[in-house]
Amino acid sequence: MPIVPEFLIKRIYQKGSLKNEAGKITLMLKNVLGPGFISGFDFIRINDSIYGADKVKFITQGKEFNAKDITERTPIAFRLGQEGKIILDGIEGLIEGLNKITIEAFNPEAGRVSINIQDNFAA
Amino acid sequence: MKIEYDKYSLIIDGKRTFIRSGAFHYFRSPGSELAQDRFRKLKACGYNTVDIYFYWQYHSDKRGECDFSGIKDVRKVLQAAKDCGLFVIARPGPFINAEVSAGGFPLWFFEDKTIIPRNRVGTEYQYSPKYMELIKEWYDTIIPIINEFDNIILFQIENEYATDEMDEEYMKELYEMARERGVKCPIFHNDAFFAGLWADVVDIYALDLYPYINPKQNWKKDHFCFDTLDNVEDIFRCANPNTPPFVAEMQAGWFDKWDGLGYDHIREALGDEHINIMTKTALSQGVTMFNHYMAVGGTSWGNIASDEVYTSYEFTAPINEYGSFNPNFYKVKEINSFLKSFGLTQTEPVDFDFYEENIYAKIRKDLENDCEWLFIRNLNEEEKTVELPFNKTVVIQPYDMKICAKDLKLYATEIEFSDIEIFCRLRNETEETFFLISDKNANLYTKDGKRISGDKKDFDNIVFEKGGKITRFVFITRNSAKRAWFFDDKIIFDADLAYPDGTIGLSSSSEVGYYDLKYGFSKRSFLVQIENKPIVLTNPKVRFCANEIDLDFDYSKWKSVTKNFDAASCRAFDEFIWYKGKLPKTIKEITLSARHLFAIYINGKEVLSRNSYKIEQLKQVPETLQVHLDENLLTKEENELTILVQNLGFDKGFSGDTNQPRGLVTFETIPDMPVELFVSQKLSLEKGIKEESNSPYLVNAHFEFDIDFRPDEIFGKYLYLKEFPYRRATIFLNGHKIGRFIKRTSVQDKFYLINTFLEPHNSIDIVIWQRHKNILSSWDFKTEIKNVIIEIGNDNYFKLLH
Repeated sequence: MPIVPEFLIKRIYQKGSLKNEAGKITLMLKNVLGPGFISGFDFIRINDSIYGADKVKFITQGKEFNAKDITERTPIAFRLGQEGKIILDGIEGLIEGLNKITIEAFNPEAGRVSINIQDNFAA
Repeated sequence: MKIEYDKYSLIIDGKRTFIRSGAFHYFRSPGSELAQDRFRKLKACGYNTVDIYFYWQYHSDKRGECDFSGIKDVRKVLQAAKDCGLFVIARPGPFINAEVSAGGFPLWFFEDKTIIPRNRVGTEYQYSPKYMELIKEWYDTIIPIINEFDNIILFQIENEYATDEMDEEYMKELYEMARERGVKCPIFHNDAFFAGLWADVVDIYALDLYPYINPKQNWKKDHFCFDTLDNVEDIFRCANPNTPPFVAEMQAGWFDKWDGLGYDHIREALGDEHINIMTKTALSQGVTMFNHYMAVGGTSWGNIASDEVYTSYEFTAPINEYGSFNPNFYKVKEINSFLKSFGLTQTEPVDFDFYEENIYAKIRKDLENDCEWLFIRNLNEEEKTVELPFNKTVVIQPYDMKICAKDLKLYATEIEFSDIEIFCRLRNETEETFFLISDKNANLYTKDGKRISGDKKDFDNIVFEKGGKITRFVFITRNSAKRAWFFDDKIIFDADLAYPDGTIGLSSSSEVGYYDLKYGFSKRSFLVQIENKPIVLTNPKVRFCANEIDLDFDYSKWKSVTKNFDAASCRAFDEFIWYKGKLPKTIKEITLSARHLFAIYINGKEVLSRNSYKIEQLKQVPETLQVHLDENLLTKEENELTILVQNLGFDKGFSGDTNQPRGLVTFETIPDMPVELFVSQKLSLEKGIKEESNSPYLVNAHFEFDIDFRPDEIFGKYLYLKEFPYRRATIFLNGHKIGRFIKRTSVQDKFYLINTFLEPHNSIDIVIWQRHKNILSSWDFKTEIKNVIIEIGNDNYFKLLH
């Protein structure tokens, strides 16, 4: 169960950021909640397609991380106001119009954090 | 008392007042005398306000009944605060969190499953009329008591509340309930998410700030944890531009958990630097109301603790659990002395174009003192020399933060700029004395071009005279500042403790210094001899005390239960819950889960004992166990089953729900068949059973010791289970449960002997829950325990002198 209510967690996702960039789904996060750490990504779901951590990259402050390398022992700082780009390996699940997106990540204090949002995609 | 406010500060009876508050839990420091002791120390530290949660469960074992007698007399606590000259922030919940069991809700709540605590399931809002009715009963009881006191300046509804829907109905009703019951002061709520939550429902928007919530974190390295604090003025102004910035909970320490790193680690990690940064950064953001959480550590005695925390709620607060001082106490005293001198209740940010990596700098215009203050902080790991845009330099140590005076007009001179920090100021109509903290790297520049170095010894002084008025600078070293106590018209030096009425506390002989504007400096010698050697406890009376496990034990009068064996369903809310029943020989397996620690006995023999309580990633790991049974265990046609479960507390309700089950949560058999269990609670010691048991699994070691109470002495004593070899133990002082020991966790081996419970002649009972493979009689155990060192130690001992 998340410590932070859903309506607040959702603010992390930047509405309108869902894109297809050269055959890869990308989306943007911005930490508007407070300083903290990301200690892992479990998976990202686009509609019915699930991208495990091995198919997720996270770029922030000019550094690219393979999501599977982000762990409780090797968390990455995510400062207040900091942005991050998620890149999924493929475009499976992405449809024109409204997409259901779930980002399952981990935070050292909160444990599993689930971000459920919807966003439009236009080809 | 008339409480008003504007965008700057609270205005009490027409006077702008900076709220320097510290949180205190009367239930963790039980009794009005202990409260009075802690309040006097808060006052000595320069706080002017105490923040008090009112803990519903502590007072109410049964619906419709609240106990405010004896040590639960909150009127006496409030009176003690008033007597000490402290304002009070009242926080009666109904939910309080505070790492207490069920977040403060009475446990009888859980007997009715249709009550939805906090109108919330998970994070989803679900309005519960029954719950709202119960709150009315609590408010009907507690608010009239609070209203009896005229030093209440703020009233909080709920605690760190949010739901997915953010429906305002519940919070608005709470607000109305408080007003209908006569609450006159401003009402606020503490937003834990700094998102402007409930700003439109309450009078004053407030938030909580805890940059360090993971003791594994190194805040000196990951100092971006201060990001929110560094921008908090914007958050306040967005939430409500017309109310004073109020940090309802400002981190002054942190709580440790069963699987934590221990309070020594947290104390060392935070040092006195963290609270210095927290408080001064908040000042730089225009905060005029703060509440250090916690200012006074406490003890989760009895069944107070939520399952997350162990007995000590030391919190590394400025005043520790035993009533003595952590290093951060002296830093807070220093900041509070400065604030008492200058107020800082009406300031505006000044545009200040400055950037240097890991250096934070803000200037505020002080409208009351007609000056400016530079707040400057160094989060580099080395000393920094900072060149300021106005041609001055500040040398600042790693992880330090300073408040520097700029353009400060004095009676006989004017400070252009000073990075020599001001400890305090005494002033009358013609004279003023500033006590400045010596700093070899710092300087004070006057407007007429003088530079005064901060490289000074204790009591070096410089005097200015102009137009019949005097300004005096007196230097004291930081070490002397620690033992200096500033009250409005005087300052006392070289005392371990001092109170506003001039009473001093000393732990050894000292020459105490005094200063006031009328008589200047004077000294007085005090001879103090204190005997405070530790007491080693020996020769315990030992008896096996798990009569409930004995085969001939009569449990026919216990409550019979055939399904829903959890604590709430069985109305068994004590820490220890006993289950007994019969198992036929045909049973092949039992499957069960229990919270939190438990053991299973069949026909008087232990078959399983689990330290099942553990947390991973802040979540309880559910444990369902299968126990295979065979003819070696089930030796009879009907076999006697005993299960003892230790409930370490209900969920505190911040992220989880308070009503998660405890006790025997599930119990099934293979083959599946109906089982009748009989339920009772408490240890035999608590139930008054004195007979020797045949079962060697729980042992009561009984010790006695005396204390020589002397007038005008204050002390804090603890029981020290040094290298205690046993797995689990519960400790009683004169019948009061004062500690839970679990060896696996290694977090606590010293247990505060709460002064309120001490008598001239005392008993300590340590009920040890341990499997004894080689011990057949209590005599064997007595022989064994002789080799275990159990001490009564002293944390502090002050002689009070007048």
